[in-house]
Amino acid sequence: MPEQGQRQVQVTRATPIGAVPLADSIHEDTTAKWFLLSSVTYFFIVGIIALTIAAKFVWPQLLGSVAYLTYGRLRPLHVNGMLFGWLLPADLGLAYYVVPRLCGVKLWSEKLGIATAVLWNVIVLGAVYALPAGYNKGWEYAELPLPLVALVVVAWVMFGINIFATVATRKYEQMYVSLWYTLATILWTTFVYPTGNVAVLFTTGTNQANLNWMYVHNAVGLIFTPIGLAMAYYFIPKASNTPLYSHKLSMIGFWSLAFVYVWTGAHHMIHGPISQWLQTIAIAFSVMLLIPVWTVVYNFFATMKGQWHQLRDNIPLKFLMSGVVFYLLTCFQGPMHSLRSVNAIVSKTDWIPGHAHMALLGCFSFFAISGTYYVVPRMFKTKLHSDALANWTFWFFMIGGLGFFVTLWLGGFWQGWQWNNPSIPFIDTVKALKPVWTVRFFSGVLMFLGIATFLFNILATVVNSGQQTARTAPAVTA
Amino acid sequence: MLGNTDKSAIGFVIAALVFFFIGGLLTTVVPPLVDKSWSKPFENEDPSKGPTGKLRQYTELELKGRAIYVKEGCWYCHTQQTRTLLADTKRSGWKGVDSPISTPDEFVYDSPHMFGTKRTGPDLSRVGGKYDRQWHRTHFRNPRDLTPGSVMPPFPWIANDDEQFNALVAYIQTLGRAKNWRPDNDYEK
Repeated sequence: MPEQGQRQVQVTRATPIGAVPLADSIHEDTTAKWFLLSSVTYFFIVGIIALTIAAKFVWPQLLGSVAYLTYGRLRPLHVNGMLFGWLLPADLGLAYYVVPRLCGVKLWSEKLGIATAVLWNVIVLGAVYALPAGYNKGWEYAELPLPLVALVVVAWVMFGINIFATVATRKYEQMYVSLWYTLATILWTTFVYPTGNVAVLFTTGTNQANLNWMYVHNAVGLIFTPIGLAMAYYFIPKASNTPLYSHKLSMIGFWSLAFVYVWTGAHHMIHGPISQWLQTIAIAFSVMLLIPVWTVVYNFFATMKGQWHQLRDNIPLKFLMSGVVFYLLTCFQGPMHSLRSVNAIVSKTDWIPGHAHMALLGCFSFFAISGTYYVVPRMFKTKLHSDALANWTFWFFMIGGLGFFVTLWLGGFWQGWQWNNPSIPFIDTVKALKPVWTVRFFSGVLMFLGIATFLFNILATVVNSGQQTARTAPAVTA
Repeated sequence: MLGNTDKSAIGFVIAALVFFFIGGLLTTVVPPLVDKSWSKPFENEDPSKGPTGKLRQYTELELKGRAIYVKEGCWYCHTQQTRTLLADTKRSGWKGVDSPISTPDEFVYDSPHMFGTKRTGPDLSRVGGKYDRQWHRTHFRNPRDLTPGSVMPPFPWIANDDEQFNALVAYIQTLGRAKNWRPDNDYEK
């Protein structure tokens, strides 16, 4: 078996992950381009919403007399906009780029792909109207009104057909780990998304909350995690030009994730009105999450052995490896929060947004930003507009992100201690957090600068490539 | 067995779904079948078993108010669960009386559920009957007039619209009242 594992690594290097210059010209990438460019644009627009709601914590009267700009209307727009306007379509765009290359064939249908991208934009624009207008179903991560939910399902099926058909016509028999994660994302989401958006309609109270948390947890665990890891498994070896350390470890990581993640939904209601035995099951499986996480992280770190010097000037790799570190941290926090004693302190506090942002921004958005920076110049057959600016993007995100995470953890932990002392009036625990929220806002400004430089750099790259083609093309008008 | 799933897409699909469905079904479909209290409305007439009372259906007015609570996203900052923590029963308590903990049978008529995940403001699971209408009217106009330091947004368009305001207050006054936990029965209207 060790020999086979060794050969595996070789195969991985020679075929899907190695340079295949001839094969690259067969890819049109129109779908990937549309998905990536629109998601980066929404990242910027929703970034403005994010800053606005962070500002409302510091200046609660801000925009206070306009119903559709209140916190309760903008927060769902921020969450859904970042999840379904930026991160998911960015990952889909990268999948449309990665999957055909790992299969050695063209995307099954570029037309279907473009139609999917158009539909996705309709959904996002629908959400931008519906959520501030107050059409909110009332479940976290599942706020979108039912007509938009139906469109999401249609778009998902279109995406799934395209990817599965591409995999079915693949030239390489062996499926690289990124393909499993992408296929699994498609399969699991097909059940997870309707659970949170449709099945909840037929239940009430605790039963409904249990379905809701199963969805919320697995939106992160079985949608953003596997599609994000698919990208990390592709781009870490690619960006560092190093073969993946171990095929076997990646299998252990994948199958343990497949088994363990779905059990943990009830850990969102520890100490709450839900059966104690179900809480205990959720806690036990939450702790087991350390298995897939540490396996994956070890595989990535071992891949980088002897290659760490590349982090000095390889910007996609900087994003990827800091994303891996954030993944390790956030997935250590998760199991620890689920323990009853720790949960009694951190649950419902500002620690939790600190944790959630490290997962979705610090880890999975870092992977997606890295992938975008890596593929956009290649798809448009040009160079990145500015490496220096990309480096600024990284540091804006890094410093802003750390400022955000660390202050919310400290503040949230402190808040939790205060709540557990009932002699402190609640309002004093609110006032105590004001400095924390001020730092959070300014960290948000830094992250927003990260988004702005990212958008500008990507758009400038695309515009430059257009001018290059114009210059090199035969002068028709002259 | 799983060793070959990286070569056969069909084998892969089957294995990935089986792995998912074991935990998926056992944690979503099975629990409500095992624990009947999830679907049985609260009812207790025996004071020795804890607070007495009966969970009733929402009235039309209360449902209207609940829809406003959902629409305005009140639930992003206010949880509705007195957890099994001493501090929660003290904080949800009122005038020296500790609140009973929240149990699944108190929420059987709730859809969408409003348990919440974040407490930027205080928990509301037992807020019903704590403050009168005039207090709520002033508070919705500008929370800082009653609670200096609050970061809650003002909701003047609700405070100034009797139809919306009455509905919302009617809903808020139901919260936590299935369990009759105030010994002096000193609930505000």
